[in-house]
Amino acid sequence: MLFNSIDFAIFLPIVFLLYWLGTQNNLRARNALLLVASYVFYGWWDWRFLSLIVFSSFVDFYVGWALGQTENKGRRKALLWTSILVNIGFLGFFKYYNFFAESLAGAFTFFGQTLQLNTLNIILPVGISFYTFQTMSYTLDIYRKKFEPTADIIAFFAFVSFFPQLVAGPIERAAHLLPQFHQPKTFSYGLVSDGLKKMLWGLFMKVAVADRLALYVESIYGHVGMHTGLSFSVATVFFSFQIYCDFAGYSLIAIGCAQLFGYDLMENFRRPYFSSSFKEFWGRWHISLSTWFRDYVYIPLGGSRVSNSRRYLNLFTTFVVSGLWHGANWTFIAWGAIHGLYQIIEKGIFKIDTRVRGHFLRILIVFFFTCLAWIFFRANNITDALQIIHTIFTEPGHHIHIGDKGIFAFSILGISVLLAVDFMQEYYPQVKLLHHPKIAVRFGSIIFLVLYIVSLGVFDGSQFIYFQF
Amino acid sequence: MKKIGIKLIVLFLILLVFDQALGGLLDVIRDHAPDGRYYKATYSLNACDEDIIILGSSRGESNYAPYLIEDSLKMTCWNASRGGQGLTYFRCMEAGILKRYTPKWLILNIETDILEYPPLEEHAGFLRPFYHKHPEIRPILNEISWSEPWLMKSRLYAYNSSFYYLMRPYLIKGLDGKSTDQGWKPLEQVLSDSHKEAIDIIDTNLPLNTDAVRGFEAFTHKILQTDCQLIFVVSPNYGEQVKRSSSLQYIKTFAEKNSIPLFDFSADPFLTTHPENFNDVQHLNRQGAIYFTNQLIAKLQTIQ
Repeated sequence: MLFNSIDFAIFLPIVFLLYWLGTQNNLRARNALLLVASYVFYGWWDWRFLSLIVFSSFVDFYVGWALGQTENKGRRKALLWTSILVNIGFLGFFKYYNFFAESLAGAFTFFGQTLQLNTLNIILPVGISFYTFQTMSYTLDIYRKKFEPTADIIAFFAFVSFFPQLVAGPIERAAHLLPQFHQPKTFSYGLVSDGLKKMLWGLFMKVAVADRLALYVESIYGHVGMHTGLSFSVATVFFSFQIYCDFAGYSLIAIGCAQLFGYDLMENFRRPYFSSSFKEFWGRWHISLSTWFRDYVYIPLGGSRVSNSRRYLNLFTTFVVSGLWHGANWTFIAWGAIHGLYQIIEKGIFKIDTRVRGHFLRILIVFFFTCLAWIFFRANNITDALQIIHTIFTEPGHHIHIGDKGIFAFSILGISVLLAVDFMQEYYPQVKLLHHPKIAVRFGSIIFLVLYIVSLGVFDGSQFIYFQF
Repeated sequence: MKKIGIKLIVLFLILLVFDQALGGLLDVIRDHAPDGRYYKATYSLNACDEDIIILGSSRGESNYAPYLIEDSLKMTCWNASRGGQGLTYFRCMEAGILKRYTPKWLILNIETDILEYPPLEEHAGFLRPFYHKHPEIRPILNEISWSEPWLMKSRLYAYNSSFYYLMRPYLIKGLDGKSTDQGWKPLEQVLSDSHKEAIDIIDTNLPLNTDAVRGFEAFTHKILQTDCQLIFVVSPNYGEQVKRSSSLQYIKTFAEKNSIPLFDFSADPFLTTHPENFNDVQHLNRQGAIYFTNQLIAKLQTIQ
């Protein structure tokens, strides 16, 4: 089920009313309701893949429970590896098998040999990268004795499949989200009202900005070799806002939706294009994933408590793995590697002190290089990405392909509204239109957003980009 | 719970008022458009009464000059074609026109691959502003998605994404076709002759799209029930001659079976090889459109 669909608009109020009015404040009943609702939410897309979530949940529940029963190091390690192998196994099979098979066959061809490997005609289960990482964090934290296993199987299953963040995050840690399934909830007007406002702004970002920009971006990136460098530059800037609004919009809807049920999800985006360094960018972009990789990949590799060269290698490795997490394509690996290099250059060569002057210039520089990396993320393959970069720098041309002028104009308008709001939140956080003390301003802002979405949103049921990861 | 419920109801009511008021205002703007796509659609659905109606996509819009047809055949003519459109739009126009009167001829400009791809349902979304006023087009527009009837409860949603093209004729006249050209949108550029070195021979046998075939059959079935003469015309492309396409094959058989005249210019040896007649490879320019229309008139005179 998509957040920007009529299905969800019907589903959510039903679950909301059942949750607050139909469960008589019974915690187990509420968790059971959330579990059923989450499975309906996921099964709406393809009920067959529910079996993966159920199996993954069973394995990690059992592993967590068994880890709590033993102090034997060997057994603990074996249990942990069971969890990792099952989860990574699912990911590897559904997401990466074809990629590795094709890459291996390609490598053999490169060296003049032939390797026959059959690829599989399989669908990538929606959100598999998200829920496997979330459930793995549970067993990893128990293994590290940072978290006690739960004995409540319903609460655990509901934690793994919690529908607001099931398919595209934020990737929650068990230590933050799971205890919330053990706490009784009371209806809070403030929390629900704030949740609805977050959902509204998230919907604006998705439907009115991201999906609008996608129309232009596709018209340019879909025809590599047919446009000028200027057109590709515009499309790349548009894509940087498209992916931000698509993913941050989804995250906000997820966070707001969870609030409706009294749950607190972690912040996932904090105005990333106002970052004045790459380190800061990764502290603001997809925070739940960055911190996951920091805690479960970068630090176990040695983190920064090692020699400089080893530290840079750790950083680079973490970003390459992060790139691969995003998709089974060399473009994503290249995108991750580029960001790894940015970090190494920033830390090792420039040693940028973000407190010194030139704040806005640095924001522009970081944005420029971030856009450069997005080209790899958006292009269909590495060859296309390199051709686009070549076109941008060597054949800028004098003409920008506008395409449908309405789409182009509303794209600019959407970015302008977004930037104005992000700018205010960044530098004038006291100005809160949706939370203004005067009801007229609050209502006015809400009405403006709803009318904008109805008038200029794209309602073709397009999927959120991050669903594919 | 009660507090949030009350506030949501109040908000909903305010939004309803805005929705109706803004929708009403936009209706007025639509109805008074001096030219452009909304003027054209309004005229086609509300007022046209010409003897001959031309329907097509951008090639239909740019390739047919109604005034030439009027002068030669002594019949009035209106070009109701619209760029970027397909069968869904043709069916809406057909429904809107036939509801009021029956033209003598309806000329449908056929794309040679029209039945091989889905029928561009979402493109016909530009007709949403006419959804409430024209119940005859509702079932066709509802095919865009199952949620369409629900979304169309909002009068403002009917104008979703349309503002630029709705307002533009008020600021710049004639950019989207002049009202005096009777629906024709002549193109003024000349294709550079370096575009193609050899003629591409199109010989394809792609599978037909079932939705497109269904749309085509719905369109033809409706018009064949009237006294209107349906005529199929295939426009030429520069540097390309169509030897065979599964759509064309299907339509030719259909035309033969139902005694529908079909004039195929897709392999015309003169038109397809003269770049000076084209604006781009798919669209004739003003000069080309005049030449093509005259060629067509000669054929139409044989059935008059």
